[in-house]
Amino acid sequence: MTHARQLTFAHLWLAFLAFAVALVLGVWQMWARSPLPAPFVTASTYFSAVTAHGTAMAYVMPVFMIMGFGYYVAETALDRPLPAPRWAWSAFALGLAGALMATVTIFSGRAAVLFTFYPPLTASVFFYLGLVMVVAASWIWCVLMMVAMAQWKRANPGRPVPLAMFATVANAVMWLWTTIGVAAELLFQVIPAALGLKAQLDVGLSRTLFSWTLHAIVYFWLIPSYIAFYTMVPQAAGGRLYSDTMGRLTFILFLIYSLPVGLHHLLMDPQQSNAFKFLQVALTALVSVPTLLTVFTIGASLEIAGRLRGGRGLLGWIGALPWDRPLVLATGLAFLMLGFGGFGGLVNMSYGMNAMVHNTSWVTAHFHLIFGGTVVIMYFAIAYAIWPAVTGRAAPSLAAQRLQLWLWFAGMLVMTLPWHYLGLLGQWRRVATFNYADPIIAGWGPWVVVSLIGGVILLGSGLLFVLNLLQFNVSREPHAAAPGELYASAVHPPARVPAALNGFRLWNALVLVLMILAYGYPIAQFFVGDSPQALVHRVDERR
Amino acid sequence: MNDPDRLEQPWRLWASVAILSVFAFSVLFGFVLMPVMQGRAAGIDAFEAICRALGITPGSPAARQPTTNAKAQPATRVAWSADLLNSLTKATAAGESLAGSCAGCHGRDGRAVEVKLYPDLAGQSAAAIYKQLHDFKTGSRPSALMTPMVQALTEEQMVAVSAHFAAFPVRPIPAAQLPAAGAAIEGLVARGDSGRGMPACNACHGDQSGGPTEAPRLSRQSREYLAAQLRAFKTGERRNDIYSRMRSVAAPLTESEIDGLALFYASTRTY
Amino acid sequence: MPISEEIIVRSELRWAAISVGVVSVIMIALIYAGLVHHINPPSNIERIDPKTLHLGGEFTEANLGTRVSGDGQVTSRIVATQFTFQPRCIVLPANRRVTLRFATPDVIHGILVSGTNVNTMIVPGYVSQVHTVFTRTGDLLMPCHEYCGLGHSEMSATVRVVPPDEFKPDAEGRVACDAR
Repeated sequence: MTHARQLTFAHLWLAFLAFAVALVLGVWQMWARSPLPAPFVTASTYFSAVTAHGTAMAYVMPVFMIMGFGYYVAETALDRPLPAPRWAWSAFALGLAGALMATVTIFSGRAAVLFTFYPPLTASVFFYLGLVMVVAASWIWCVLMMVAMAQWKRANPGRPVPLAMFATVANAVMWLWTTIGVAAELLFQVIPAALGLKAQLDVGLSRTLFSWTLHAIVYFWLIPSYIAFYTMVPQAAGGRLYSDTMGRLTFILFLIYSLPVGLHHLLMDPQQSNAFKFLQVALTALVSVPTLLTVFTIGASLEIAGRLRGGRGLLGWIGALPWDRPLVLATGLAFLMLGFGGFGGLVNMSYGMNAMVHNTSWVTAHFHLIFGGTVVIMYFAIAYAIWPAVTGRAAPSLAAQRLQLWLWFAGMLVMTLPWHYLGLLGQWRRVATFNYADPIIAGWGPWVVVSLIGGVILLGSGLLFVLNLLQFNVSREPHAAAPGELYASAVHPPARVPAALNGFRLWNALVLVLMILAYGYPIAQFFVGDSPQALVHRVDERR
Repeated sequence: MNDPDRLEQPWRLWASVAILSVFAFSVLFGFVLMPVMQGRAAGIDAFEAICRALGITPGSPAARQPTTNAKAQPATRVAWSADLLNSLTKATAAGESLAGSCAGCHGRDGRAVEVKLYPDLAGQSAAAIYKQLHDFKTGSRPSALMTPMVQALTEEQMVAVSAHFAAFPVRPIPAAQLPAAGAAIEGLVARGDSGRGMPACNACHGDQSGGPTEAPRLSRQSREYLAAQLRAFKTGERRNDIYSRMRSVAAPLTESEIDGLALFYASTRTY
Repeated sequence: MPISEEIIVRSELRWAAISVGVVSVIMIALIYAGLVHHINPPSNIERIDPKTLHLGGEFTEANLGTRVSGDGQVTSRIVATQFTFQPRCIVLPANRRVTLRFATPDVIHGILVSGTNVNTMIVPGYVSQVHTVFTRTGDLLMPCHEYCGLGHSEMSATVRVVPPDEFKPDAEGRVACDAR
């Protein structure tokens, strides 16, 4: 590795520091919502904390994690230095400055609009600009990833791009498409309002533009974990990837189906029609397919590993797997959480059931479990797996890593399972304090406390994670092996793949067609006839 | 079969077929079949049902639209607009000359001549002043004293006067310090009371609240005036708050809380 | 490796077929709910200017609450605003088709009626509309469930579902909550 070592180190540390701060805030928020009296709680501090927690966990942490991991993959999977490392470092600086600017603005109470922005509530322009800088940094990363892949293809004509890099670039391409929605919302509506240039906004349009980003972003978060499933876990388990082609297909399906489905976040909104909601729900049903394919392919890959290690019988191979390796353990725990979280997702996309759970705690529990659980546990495992190569030291204690992963799993279940239940009982979202004097709400109290305990366990696990990474710096054992050894080979490594599975031209064309068909009229309708506008409500200062 | 171009065509073909089939299926069911069949059960003709499903006309394809014949009796006749809000930010000379006739009670600089009787206008939100002037004029807010005073004012004059007083600095804390309002009152201000469905006062009146446009600044306002207004909202004697925003929070307040809140705001430094 | 490429491809295709089958079952369930039970999401592209909502028309303060029209339709009109609902309590009959219409003069709100499938966002510029039949009587909680500002946590209303024989509209067709 030439440049990636330092880039990955810097990006991942920034991501995990933001993560640690957000964890502390998260526990405080759960405490505030519980029947137990919590300090410093006012409406203003609570909602500023929620904004900080959401911004850190949804934007800052994933973007830097994905950028850092991407640089690592680009150099180790392609076995060549990263092109234009100065651009990479400029992107890091830009993103860091933006994250700091947004953070300061949030903590000064001038941005209590939550990470979903909720126009016409309008925060200080520095909040939005900070986030724009973070996204711009990620765009630079996207271009670098695409350039790295293009250069490798030119140097290796006719050969299949290594799956890890193919998937990374699929993610980059998808992210460029994804950010169009929120960028348009910020550029044309929210930032002009924050600057005082506009006094009113079309809220229906802003919600629709944001929905464009809001679903696809979860796949942006998720793909690195799937990269680990396909390219690193089979190797760690001592086996092979069942099918390289299936892997490519999975990432392509994410690219095309994660975007034209955003309206399923607006199922309960009046301003989008039944017909287009149905269309996007049908497409949403399709986006569950790549996950189903992954479960099979990775399951098969692990079965190969298990049987190679002597496992027998229908399920005996499961016990034979090397669960002492953090990547393998994390995968098992991730799949368990995916079972719960995935089921929740299927409930959310069916509008009859969605009407029972929309904006209740069920939704909050769902995304904490599926993202905070399935995806983030793999982020930890990826960090543990690549840290020896990044720091040049061997892992000091795998037992501590496994403990941290188990704590995360346990904490996540303890936190989210009662939370799902509370959602079904009707507990609604974004509340700073509940009226526990009301008899129905009082009945919720014990479950809220159980969730809080889960949150505290998660905080402990998160802090242990940071500690585990720090331990590498004091470890005395050097790490010698080559970084490329982390990657799995397929059972039948392809000699050639069709251009459709080695590049994105066809798929970009399909994304364009899909977005025009699925989002064309839903956005255009706001420009046909007159759309009533709502007055801007500033949350940063009185004017 | 190892020629990449020949490997290409099936992929392009099948990908396009798959996607177009999904669309055809969705359009058939979501745009046509479901609305038409729902409409048939509800007595809505097919074309109307499809228009409703597409969002071209309002309503559900599965149910009749309700009708309405409302008579307007609005609580206030003020309607905010971008232009109006913009004009309220500009203090003009016209405002200054008009303000002369307000000075007798409200002071040259917006600080009331007698705080026990009249409210301060200095540093008040221009939108808040404008709305009250407008409501006095239309009778939405009854006042034997103010209604005759503002009858002669035109729309532009009300805007000018409001912008004028808004530009003055707020009265500083009086030299004789007022007693503290107490933790319970501070709790109402910062946290509200969910048991009574009362949001924090800061949620609308704070500096960083994002609340209603006409929410006035309460800081360092006349204590007597604040208490009188809370009582007026509580009894419903004052009804010019849009959609009962103030009536609904004043109604559950106790008498001592009203006095405590008035004291708190009269003596606060911030917002 | 003992597994041939052909076996791998075939097993993956078989699984893909199962996955598509699972997806199809979901879509069929949705279509069934739509065709047989007329379950639709609460779409209603009915535009209304939030800035003049209070001045005239359907959502003036005096016109809010439950009203039975001449042809027997029961409609309840509620305004969501920072940070209260008006009216804070509405009465609706059980076992009868009712329509709830919501509007807001300011920011995004949302409601759910606990224990029912009444759930909708309230977006400034649009009238939200939900059709339903209440089956159980009692006082149901209707909180604001979407972040609308610092007072969001305290914003809620009551839906009082009464047995049909206790639902008595006055001469103008209105029914209001008594103080209980």
